[in-house]
Amino acid sequence: MNFMGNTKELLLVHPSMKPVSLTEAVNVMLPPQFYTLKKEALPLRYAYQAKKIAPSLFDGLLEAGSHYEYMVWKEDEAWVFLAYDIEKITAFLESKGFALEHVSKLFFAQQSVDLFDKPLFLGEHDALVSLDHIVVVVPRGALTQEDGSSLLFNNRFTPKKGIVLSGAYGSVLSLKQASMLAAIFILFALMFFVEGSRYSDDSETGEAKMQELISAYPALQSKYTRDSILTKYKAIDTAERKKREIVKMVSGMLFKGVTLSSLEIDAKSFKVHFTCKDAQVAKRLTLLATKNKLKTSAISGSHDLKIEGTL
Amino acid sequence: MTWKRYQNELIALIAFVFMLIAYGYKTTQVSSQAQGIAGAKHSVEEIQEVISLQKIWADTKTSKKVEKLQTLVPASKITWSNKNKKVTASYKNLTARELNTLVTKILNVPVEIEKLKIQKVASSYDVEFKCKW
Repeated sequence: MNFMGNTKELLLVHPSMKPVSLTEAVNVMLPPQFYTLKKEALPLRYAYQAKKIAPSLFDGLLEAGSHYEYMVWKEDEAWVFLAYDIEKITAFLESKGFALEHVSKLFFAQQSVDLFDKPLFLGEHDALVSLDHIVVVVPRGALTQEDGSSLLFNNRFTPKKGIVLSGAYGSVLSLKQASMLAAIFILFALMFFVEGSRYSDDSETGEAKMQELISAYPALQSKYTRDSILTKYKAIDTAERKKREIVKMVSGMLFKGVTLSSLEIDAKSFKVHFTCKDAQVAKRLTLLATKNKLKTSAISGSHDLKIEGTL
Repeated sequence: MTWKRYQNELIALIAFVFMLIAYGYKTTQVSSQAQGIAGAKHSVEEIQEVISLQKIWADTKTSKKVEKLQTLVPASKITWSNKNKKVTASYKNLTARELNTLVTKILNVPVEIEKLKIQKVASSYDVEFKCKW
């Protein structure tokens, strides 16, 4: 089983070919009609350097107004420069019935020059041959008898490096733009992940103080115990504070002319009896009680006031 | 094969979705951290409240503080009973000054007041006091 190799069918296209109807993806090899080739022995070390100078090498050789792209590779001591117009190629492929989404990769005949040890017939009139290690189209009539039958074209002609056509058509974004956007999004994603993981680390520090308290009071480790203690003492605290507030309020209501006759506080209620010297004092006491949100009731036959309430 | 037509957009979209997932992860972590901090803060406050309540209402020195309520007025004016952390006291013929001192002291002792009855009799006061702790 071939997991890594290219298993797609390789089709050699040429202007005189019949239209095709594809049902699955294929690779396409283009003859010299679709590219311009130049070989130069340049003191360059890397392909990207060669690609950078490629447009200047083809100055004046290419059709003006077309948009060319370049492919470079090294052959022995020389650099091979290849210029192609992707729009022209795709227009040709579409004219021959190729659905572009079915075209996986594009290759150039020059890439497989080593395999052209015999002529390869292109239709009835032309043939591809290798002359001085360059693949060229020649009329079949120019071939000698020695050349014999056509070279068998199959997948072994598939070079390693090809042009990915998908993405070069129909897309709003070019591959470069898509890659840049993807890189930005991934960068942000990584930042978010890092930030997120930092937040998850920080949340652990919030528990340090609790651990400190728990180690000082191990009995309070259990939430159940804490709740139980809290329920018990909070009820006591609330009730007792209220009792004490009542007593303080009552003592604050004693002024000249007012005497405390009795005060009674138990677990649930309280009762206070004030003796007032006259009606004016009683009125003032009533106002004071209202201010303290206590309800007073007068005792008939006297200026005395009574305050009752629940705790 | 139609997806191949939009391969570039797909690459950008997948990266964008990845970024959204990362953003979601960050947001979740931020909110869980906030929840964690709030939870820890609540627990700390709860523990501190339990400790302070225990310090007040389960103070081992309360018995001594209650005993001092006997010494505020002459012994002849007091009837005192202390059983199992429960005190029943009766004060008779207290002056206004003695009453003030006694009530102020009672209010500052961390006990559960079961009964506090102050009754004016002529110019003096009688006090009945029941508490537990």
